[in-house]
Amino acid sequence: MAPTDALPTDLDVLVIGTGAGGAPLLARLASAGLKVAALEAGVRHPPEGIATDEVAQAGLFWMDERLAAGKDPVSFGRNNSGRGVGGSTLHYTAYTPRAQPDDLRLKTEFGQGEDWPLEFAELEPYYDELEYFLGVSGPAEYPWGPQRRRPYRHPPLPLNGAARLMQRACAEIGMRTSPAANAALSRPQEQPGYGTRHTCTNRGFCQAGCSVGAKASMDVTFLALAESLGAQIVDGAQVTSLTMRGGHVTGAEFVRGDRLEHLSARTVILAAGAVETPRLLLMNGLANSSGQVGRNFMAHVGVQVWGQVDDDLRPYKGIPGGLISEDTHRVPGLIGGYLLQSLGVMPVTYATQYARGTLTWGPELIQHLSGYNHVAGINVLGECLPYEHNRLELSDELDGRGLPKPRVHFSFGENEKRMTVHAEALMRDLWGRIGARDVWALPRAAHTLGTARMGTDPATSVVNPDGRTHDIENLWICDNSTFPSSLSVNPALTQMALSLRTADALLGGLKG
Amino acid sequence: MTPEERSAVLALLHSAHVTEPTRRALLERLDARYERQFFDEAEFGQLRALAVRLVPHDPADMDLTGTVDHRLHAGAGDGWRYADAPPDGDAYRALLAALPDGFETLDAEAQDTAIPAVQASHPHAFEDLLAELTEAFMAHPLTQYRFGYVGFADAPQWPHVGPNELEPREVAYGPH
Repeated sequence: MAPTDALPTDLDVLVIGTGAGGAPLLARLASAGLKVAALEAGVRHPPEGIATDEVAQAGLFWMDERLAAGKDPVSFGRNNSGRGVGGSTLHYTAYTPRAQPDDLRLKTEFGQGEDWPLEFAELEPYYDELEYFLGVSGPAEYPWGPQRRRPYRHPPLPLNGAARLMQRACAEIGMRTSPAANAALSRPQEQPGYGTRHTCTNRGFCQAGCSVGAKASMDVTFLALAESLGAQIVDGAQVTSLTMRGGHVTGAEFVRGDRLEHLSARTVILAAGAVETPRLLLMNGLANSSGQVGRNFMAHVGVQVWGQVDDDLRPYKGIPGGLISEDTHRVPGLIGGYLLQSLGVMPVTYATQYARGTLTWGPELIQHLSGYNHVAGINVLGECLPYEHNRLELSDELDGRGLPKPRVHFSFGENEKRMTVHAEALMRDLWGRIGARDVWALPRAAHTLGTARMGTDPATSVVNPDGRTHDIENLWICDNSTFPSSLSVNPALTQMALSLRTADALLGGLKG
Repeated sequence: MTPEERSAVLALLHSAHVTEPTRRALLERLDARYERQFFDEAEFGQLRALAVRLVPHDPADMDLTGTVDHRLHAGAGDGWRYADAPPDGDAYRALLAALPDGFETLDAEAQDTAIPAVQASHPHAFEDLLAELTEAFMAHPLTQYRFGYVGFADAPQWPHVGPNELEPREVAYGPH
């Protein structure tokens, strides 16, 4: 069926993408009275229509084919890329740790990696605002990083089996742990523009879509607010090019249904993520006077260790990542550091990871998978340095729309390899302490970061510290592509903070 | 699938513990059977024989081979592939072509003996196929019943999430 809704005209700002980069600023700009709209490649996924089934939820992911190259090819699709109104927040695990101040100063501290062109103090008020608005559930006292000025809005969610085992094992070796900060509700909350969001039902499906609105994905938070303030979201709209006139961007062309359409706006904000944003810029030959578009692709070190115990754990219950430790934020011998997270898991995700990770087949495979209810996982999320050799480029192979498929080269450097070895040994020790058997490790990289870095020098960066491209005065970028370094924490909360900050900078510029 | 297994699966799926979108997805999958469309008959026979060795199952219970064929015919993907590998369909065909002649007529032991060589010569295709078959196997309601997975029956919520803290529907579901 062809979409029938009328397209908006006379837009102040057009946002491309509705995830953690695009949604917060859409709401902020709408609340300031600007006429704004967003284009989203995916469609709406209302919570009540979301099945508790991983295969049925494939539509939440970006399934257009990407080519993974390098020594450590990154798996895309269900690993890390969302598609739908809400973007990747539809399937993020709702982990919302803050970056620590020294995360932003890697080069100063270690002489490697990059410093961010902004200070922690500039992010902090946005963190405070976000944790309250999203309804983050977390501990009264969080042991790491600067003391927060505003406590978490809700108490922590209950700890599931894997979280309790990690808690016990860490205690044995004197590692501190804490219930994690999760953007899922331990109490109901009224959400402006949406209504009542319900308490988490411990359904464990956070890595896919939440069916009750407990998880703070963008659709039930910022996008609902934005629409209530007059913002228009055009879904099912795949942007194919940016239109230009006289060195300024004038709008975007997109395919919706079987039609090619266009939206004009005075300012355009690209918020399509660290793969689609550079892909679009490279296809159009835009904003790349530095030659940095597509460069410095990063994916967090994300090695996982799994084991089975006698206890009936039911890894499908509870928030998947209930427990955290940041005691490994700095480790002698490593540049940057990592955090530890407990892991619940859904059966199909577990099974396919086990098959790929161990290449076990035959009766042994079935035997192992039959122990699913006894599986406990633990993983890390660690710094990945920006490298010249990790980059996104356009391939000669075309997709269904006749556009070049992106090819992403990714190989761990020495630091990522050392970090993986260190983390795997620590997690194997922890899982040994809980008496886990059939322990196995999956080396892995998570999240897509970099490819359009922010900086003060137009010769070495794509956007300025506010997110505006150096080359095109009315083209901004607001997504994880602008991260100069990866940070040693999950990126969603920091991305949202950057989004609000970019909105405020844009509004300040309009006032000035 | 025994009649007892089938009726236990259907009873839970039709209960109030399962939401409508979930019920719809799982009922459809329980009986899904596909016409061969992508592979030719010889390839399909080889693929089915290989699938049974890689992820042991009874094709009468679940049509894993048909699921693969159907996915390739529909042109659907999982969002990525190894840059140095051909498109999935071509990669799988090359893998099948590397099997010894008459693979599907060999006895199980001889089939298992032949598999490591094709794995070594077509590592990406082997990994992708193994993962795809494993996904279809694990996502099938019968497998989930046999492994005691009840996660889809979440309509009433799970108030207790600690080790060994099971709800009655978790205790009751699955073989005993």
